Amino acid sequence: MRSPSEPPESGPPPDYRHAYPVFLIMGGLLVVALAVRAWLVPETFGEFGYYRGAALDEAKVRTSRYLGRQACAECHDDVAALHAKDAHGSVECETCHGPGSAHVEDAENVLPRADRQQDCLVCHRRLDARPGSFPQIDRDEHFRLVGVTNAATACVRCHSGHEPLFMNKDLRTARLHPLIHACGDCHLGRQDQTLKQPAGHPQIFQCSYCHADVSASAAKAEHHAIACTTCHLFIKENAFSGRIVRDTDPRFCLLCHGQADFRSQDGPPLITWPGHLADVSEETPDPTRACVDCHQDQIHDLFEKEVSHGL
Amino acid sequence: MGCDCAGMMTRREMIQRLVTGATGSLLVWTFPALAAEGEDPRDRPLYAYAVDTTRCIGCCACMRACRAENDVPDGCFRTWIERYRVRANGEVLVDVAAGDDHVFEEDPVPDTVKAFFVPKLCNHCEKSVCSQVCPVGATYETPEGVVLVDQKRCIGCGYCVQACPYGTRFIHPTKHYADKCTLCYHRISRGELPACVLACPKGVRIFGDLHDPESRLSTMLKQRRYRVLKPEMGTHPKCYYLDLDFEVV
Repeated sequence: MRSPSEPPESGPPPDYRHAYPVFLIMGGLLVVALAVRAWLVPETFGEFGYYRGAALDEAKVRTSRYLGRQACAECHDDVAALHAKDAHGSVECETCHGPGSAHVEDAENVLPRADRQQDCLVCHRRLDARPGSFPQIDRDEHFRLVGVTNAATACVRCHSGHEPLFMNKDLRTARLHPLIHACGDCHLGRQDQTLKQPAGHPQIFQCSYCHADVSASAAKAEHHAIACTTCHLFIKENAFSGRIVRDTDPRFCLLCHGQADFRSQDGPPLITWPGHLADVSEETPDPTRACVDCHQDQIHDLFEKEVSHGL
Repeated sequence: MGCDCAGMMTRREMIQRLVTGATGSLLVWTFPALAAEGEDPRDRPLYAYAVDTTRCIGCCACMRACRAENDVPDGCFRTWIERYRVRANGEVLVDVAAGDDHVFEEDPVPDTVKAFFVPKLCNHCEKSVCSQVCPVGATYETPEGVVLVDQKRCIGCGYCVQACPYGTRFIHPTKHYADKCTLCYHRISRGELPACVLACPKGVRIFGDLHDPESRLSTMLKQRRYRVLKPEMGTHPKCYYLDLDFEVV
């Protein structure tokens, strides 16, 4: 074979016919390669990157099963309005009731989850890993306190799932107590994560520290065995949280004192609210009356003095 | 050996140019994305996720919502919650919600000094290992930063399951493709929240757009302390854990 650097020689034009098979083979290989590529590489592959572009649209087409509370409120606006005001207001309907789409397809298909204890305890069972500010109970301890004998009693017999605190007032205005409740309120910038009060730490969270008169009278009253926080739930939401039940719905007292078939007679004295009103009223029973209008002395003296914030 | 044909191409040069040109046009033909220019990637959303571990109550509503929304098979998890318990002697105990109901039981551990819950899910890494090892291009990152699996393309070889440092992938037991959290891609592309974010009663899970400086996620990441899991793996995860303790891996 001649090197290209050699000068061209005169004579007949060079004959390349011997190279035709090579071109044919190369061309054939190219066709085969293109055919194999077309067979192996799916359509739209590489449209956006090293993957099938159509997969993006395929991933989008599925319908949503969780619809959000607005969808629930389209039919159940009355319940939604009650629910939004109470302590469970931040909880989506479908968190307890299951996906809304199943209920839309079949009206019967909704989880009545709150009928089972387990479904409330999923969130409210006392666990050491739960943040201390979150309301948690030991079921047995709770039932002993309120005199419930049947351990299988559903939580909804007393607590409405939609209005767990029976609060009539707007949540934000009902929480007026200026107490300090989290470590972070004094220890600025630290999260309230410690499980136990450190040994040797002063007892700064005692109610009697500021409310000495109230707690002294409470110690003599019939409710002396009950912790302040049993009624005055201090749910930590912000620096000024805390709920005072004095002006709230009388049903709050009925949480413990309401007559129910699952209660023993050994626990707190039991009444039915309409029956009790009829018993004590000479005139027409006034359902707006609060228990504390008559029974304040059985609880504690009213708090009247200025709080001394001597912390 | 001299060359008296200066200015002309040698055979070697011509073949080199032909090969270069052919390869280039073949690449652009295969991946039009390489030729795309001018589009600012910041015009698109960049979806990410944050977990506020200080608020988690371990109710596992997220897990139940994920299962219902995405038909996650029994025994497999696209998201789950770990319970960390640290004992006085420094021993760290980790468990997940067992049983069919996925509910944490009391199961007390003596001398627990610190305990908390940590929700886990796919970290939707910026440099995702899973999509790098996939031999058929079935795992990929969408333009919005979500790591997905092309179920039609996946051959179920399981390389990605082994590669993921966070253990978020599994092979679907009946359909035999790799499956994982999609950030509810079908929901977020319609402007809805992922099912787990919707179902969380305590606002632990925060979903948002990193390219939107006003989004709740962007604000959180500006104001709060956070870290990612296993940063030493170089995967650049887009799942940010707020106030997470160092015991968590």
